[in-house]
Amino acid sequence: MVGIPILVIVLIVIYPTIWMFYHAFHDTNMMSLFRQDWQPVGFQNFEAVLTSERFRNSLWHLAIYLTFGACLQVVLGTILALILYESVKTGWMRVVLLIIMVLPMMLPPSITGILWRFLLQASNGAVNHILLNVGILEGTERIDWFSVDLSLWSLVIADTWQWTALPLLIVFSGRVSLPPAVYEAAKVDGASGYQVMRRLTLPMLREIIAIAFILRFMDAYKFVDKVYVMTSGGPAQSSELPVYIAFQTGIREFQVGLAAGYAIIIFVGAALIITLFLQYLKRVMRNAGVVD
Amino acid sequence: MSRTAASAGQPNYRLIRYVLLAFLVIWLVFTLFPLYFAVITALKPVEEINRMVPTFWPETFRIDNFSGIFADPGSLKSLIDSIIIASANTALSLVLGTLAGYALARYLRGALGENLAFFILSQRMFPPVAILIPIFFLFDATPWGTDSYITLILLYLVFNMPLATWLMMVFFRDAPKELEEAAYLDGYTPLRAFFKVTLPLVVPGMISVAMLCWIFAWNEYLFANLLTGTTVKTFPVHIPTFVAGSQTLWNFVMAFSLVAMLPPVILFIILRRYMVRGLSLGVVKG
Repeated sequence: MVGIPILVIVLIVIYPTIWMFYHAFHDTNMMSLFRQDWQPVGFQNFEAVLTSERFRNSLWHLAIYLTFGACLQVVLGTILALILYESVKTGWMRVVLLIIMVLPMMLPPSITGILWRFLLQASNGAVNHILLNVGILEGTERIDWFSVDLSLWSLVIADTWQWTALPLLIVFSGRVSLPPAVYEAAKVDGASGYQVMRRLTLPMLREIIAIAFILRFMDAYKFVDKVYVMTSGGPAQSSELPVYIAFQTGIREFQVGLAAGYAIIIFVGAALIITLFLQYLKRVMRNAGVVD
Repeated sequence: MSRTAASAGQPNYRLIRYVLLAFLVIWLVFTLFPLYFAVITALKPVEEINRMVPTFWPETFRIDNFSGIFADPGSLKSLIDSIIIASANTALSLVLGTLAGYALARYLRGALGENLAFFILSQRMFPPVAILIPIFFLFDATPWGTDSYITLILLYLVFNMPLATWLMMVFFRDAPKELEEAAYLDGYTPLRAFFKVTLPLVVPGMISVAMLCWIFAWNEYLFANLLTGTTVKTFPVHIPTFVAGSQTLWNFVMAFSLVAMLPPVILFIILRRYMVRGLSLGVVKG
């Protein structure tokens, strides 16, 4: 019974991965692929990737994106979830607010990208005109959200708008399921709100927050939809992420060998991170009783 | 001593409370504004949208934008295509995930089974970009070609099946084993015990899995955009085609996006509790 899913994984994941490994060591491009004729080039593709400035820049973008996109989202989501839990006590109000805050997550990522591209238009975009109305911008001043300096940040904004809801939802549900008895005991002992948060709530939610972080981190690592529809990595490659370059070299420029080089490096990176996370996940899942 | 410290801290706490509440309100505004603007844009005529100064309340209401999007026969077809693909993929993920999850939960409880389970789960986290090109050739070589329903239905298994397998394993582990054993004693065959006793116990879990798989398949864009687009066109691929010349028809784009957003939102509102469990890989009970 486990055989069929494994078979599917082998067919549509493992086989393509091996294919990419093979071509990462060859000079394959579109022509050679159709003529079935490619030459081994050793580590040339990897060398080309690792020495290219484009790749190094994209790693920097990824670091920014993961810090301000993924990490910040988990921090924001946790804070918002706890505020929602502590300060809104009416049941239906909580549900309504939770549903409102989770709405962005229900929008397809590509459409979120389109929506934010529309909101952030320089000349008549809604965001710039709000800034004009509140007096942050004046006269003909406009922020060009898709300039070299800002386009990566526009992606981060759109992504944060959409995905803060995930850690929020997970942490909120985690907080709801914490045992009330512990809190009553703390109240009897006269613990302050800060102490309860610091010594009780956060430690008890640590693993749940970690799960939210792992989920967000892995999604952010492979993230490409919004780059594709919002900025296409531009202008001047200023918002390119490694995954997007792999995609661009492979699908648009059809330098299959080079793209495979990118893909394998990304793959190895993912494998390292996943292995690391799985070790932790195993522990968390054991504590939660999900696995033995 | 402690009383003075507490009373000195009192006004501070109130201030912090207000600051936190203000933060929550600001976040709500930040969340709602883009959606609000999408709604009013969907109700405006194109000329009003293209003005140099955007209006924050429509001067002219065009409710017929919502029927206007369906003047393009591709619109309705793209929604139907998306429904077909998402539903078929969900059904397939659910069947495979249920069987594999059951096997992992009941028969493979040792180190091998656990590693297998984590291996399957890890597949969900890998970047699909790493396999895009060979996937294209793989499906190109099949009799149905790349631009077909089967392509996307099978391809979305890449991310949905590992999730379904993992979650079903979690739900089967939760289901009490004793009932199944009692059924065996009553002379049930393993198959009958599975369908009559165990499966009904995990129906809530199956709802959660089905909903998540359906939403993920419904929202997918990258594979759909690259591999299909002529015979089969899902709605995320269809939406960018609302253009007149070089001008984007934002009212249609927004109206159609809102229509397409409805199914996931409705699913979430009705089945919220089930969803949290699935989203957290089974850790948070929801």
